[in-house]
Amino acid sequence: MYRTRFIAVIFLSLLYLGLSSAGVAGAATQTRPDPMEQLRPFVNEIVGILTDKSLAGKANCRKRRQRVMAAAHERFDFKEMSKRVLGREWRKLSPQQKEHFVTLFTKLLEHAYIGKIEDYSKQTVEFKRQRIRGNRAEVQTVLKEKNVAIPVSYIMILENGNQWMVYDIIVEGVSLVRNYMEQFREIVRQGGYSELIKLLENKIETLEHDLSKTCPIDLPRKAVPQRRSVR
Amino acid sequence: MRMVRTGGLRSIYAVYSGRVRMGAVELLRNNKAFSMIISSRFFSHAMIFLIMAVILLGSVPPVIAGQGGTDFLSDEFYTDQPGSVETADPLESLNRVVFTFNDRMYTWVMEPVARGYSHVLPSDIRSCFSTFFRNLLEPVRFINTLLQGRFTDSGTVLVRFLINSTCGIYGFADVAAREFNFPPVEATLGQTLATWGVGDGCYLVVPLYGSSTLRDFAGVVVDGFGMTPYYYPWTNDLGVMAGVYLGKETNRLSLHLGEYEELKKLSFDPYVALRDAYFQYRRKHFTSPGTMWE
Repeated sequence: MYRTRFIAVIFLSLLYLGLSSAGVAGAATQTRPDPMEQLRPFVNEIVGILTDKSLAGKANCRKRRQRVMAAAHERFDFKEMSKRVLGREWRKLSPQQKEHFVTLFTKLLEHAYIGKIEDYSKQTVEFKRQRIRGNRAEVQTVLKEKNVAIPVSYIMILENGNQWMVYDIIVEGVSLVRNYMEQFREIVRQGGYSELIKLLENKIETLEHDLSKTCPIDLPRKAVPQRRSVR
Repeated sequence: MRMVRTGGLRSIYAVYSGRVRMGAVELLRNNKAFSMIISSRFFSHAMIFLIMAVILLGSVPPVIAGQGGTDFLSDEFYTDQPGSVETADPLESLNRVVFTFNDRMYTWVMEPVARGYSHVLPSDIRSCFSTFFRNLLEPVRFINTLLQGRFTDSGTVLVRFLINSTCGIYGFADVAAREFNFPPVEATLGQTLATWGVGDGCYLVVPLYGSSTLRDFAGVVVDGFGMTPYYYPWTNDLGVMAGVYLGKETNRLSLHLGEYEELKKLSFDPYVALRDAYFQYRRKHFTSPGTMWE
C-alpha cells in the first residue's frame, strides 16, 4: 500500500515535471527559434566548404566562392544591411535604385567578408553566447586559428517570425556596416548618391581585377557585367 | 599543439631566463624601486604632462556621454546623424597630413621590417613576446582599475600578474587565461580620465603611433613612461628605451601583418574607416567583460 503510493507520487511528479518542461520548451520553440541554433548550421556549412578537399586549390577558387555566397544568401539579409548602411539616403531611392545598390553592396561584402574568411582554412569557430532583445539578437563567436582568436559577433533580426537573419558582423568590436556607413555618409554629403555609386562600381572593379590574378575566372562568372547593365 | 607550445616556451625560457632573472634579482637587491620612480626624471615629466593635460582638458566637456551605452541591438547605433559627437574631428586637415605620413612610414619602413622579422622568428615565439610585454604593463592596469573603481577587475589583473609572472615563466605565457580562466582586462589612464569626467578633446592622429584622442594620448604617454624606470632598471637611456619600444611595436606588427593593407583595400576613405574603427574598438574595450553581456 505504502509502496504503491510512493510509486504513484514519484510517477506523478515525474509526469508533472516532464509535462511542464516539455510545455515550456515547446512554447519557446513555437514563439521564436533560437538564433544560435539557426546560425550554427550556416557557419558549419561555410567552414565545411572552406575545408572541403574536393574544393581546395586555386582551380576551384571561383567555385568555392560561389558556394560560400550561395550559403550566405540563406542567412544574410543583404537588403537589411544596405538599408542600414545608407541610413536616411535609403528612403530617397526608387525600388530599382535600391535593388541596384543591394547588388553592388552585396558584391562589396563578398570581397570584404568572404574574401577574408577564405584565408582561414584551418580555423575553428566557437559559439560563445547570445543575447536577444525583441526581434534582435547578437550571437557571439570566436574564430580560432593556431594562436589567434578573433571575436566575431553576428547581429540578427527575426524575419517572418521564424528566421533569424544576419544584418551586421562585428569583428573585434568593429561593426562592418557602421564602418561603411561612416564612409558612405561622407561621400554622399560631398558628391551625392551618384558619386557613391560610381565609387562603389570602381572599387568592385578593382577588387575583381585583383582577385582575377590569384583566382582565375571560369565561365559562370560572366554573368556579372549583365547585371550591371540592367541599370 | 600543446606540445609545440610547451616546447616553444622551454626554448624561450632557456634563452631569456638568464637576462630576465638578472633584472628581477637586481631589482630586489636594490630595493630602491620606489625611490627610483619618485626621483626619476621620467616620472616628474610624466606627472607634469598629466597635470597639464588634465588642466587643459578639464574645460572640455565629456563628449562621449553614454560611453559603453551604445548597443548593436538598438537602431540608434546605425543612425546617420551628421557630425555625431563621437567623431569630433576639428583637426581633420592636420590629422590627414599625419595620416599620410604614417601611411608612408608604414609601407616603406615598418611593414618591411616587421615582415623580415616575422620570417626570422616563428609566430609561437612572437606571440610569447607579445604576452611578455603585455604582462609588464599589468601593474599599470592594476592602478588604473583601482582609480576607475573596477575592483573586481583589479583583483583579476593582480591575480593574472602573479600567475603569469610565476607559472607563466616571467609572463611569456598567458597561463592565467588559458588554465585559470582569468581573461585579460584592459585599463588605461585614458579610461581613468574618462571616468573622472575628462572629455576626449578631439580625435588625434599621432605620428608613428596612430589613432588616438587628446585625452587618450596623454594617458598613453603617462602609462608608458610612468612605470618604465621600474621595469627597465638597467636603463636610464632614452635610446635604449626607444629601442625597447620599437622592438615591442615591431613584434606586435609582425603578428598583424596584412591587416592594414586589407583595410585600405576594402575602404573608400581609409582615414574615415580607421577613425571609425578606432572609436568602435575603443568603446568595446572600455566596457569591462562583465558589463558587456549584462
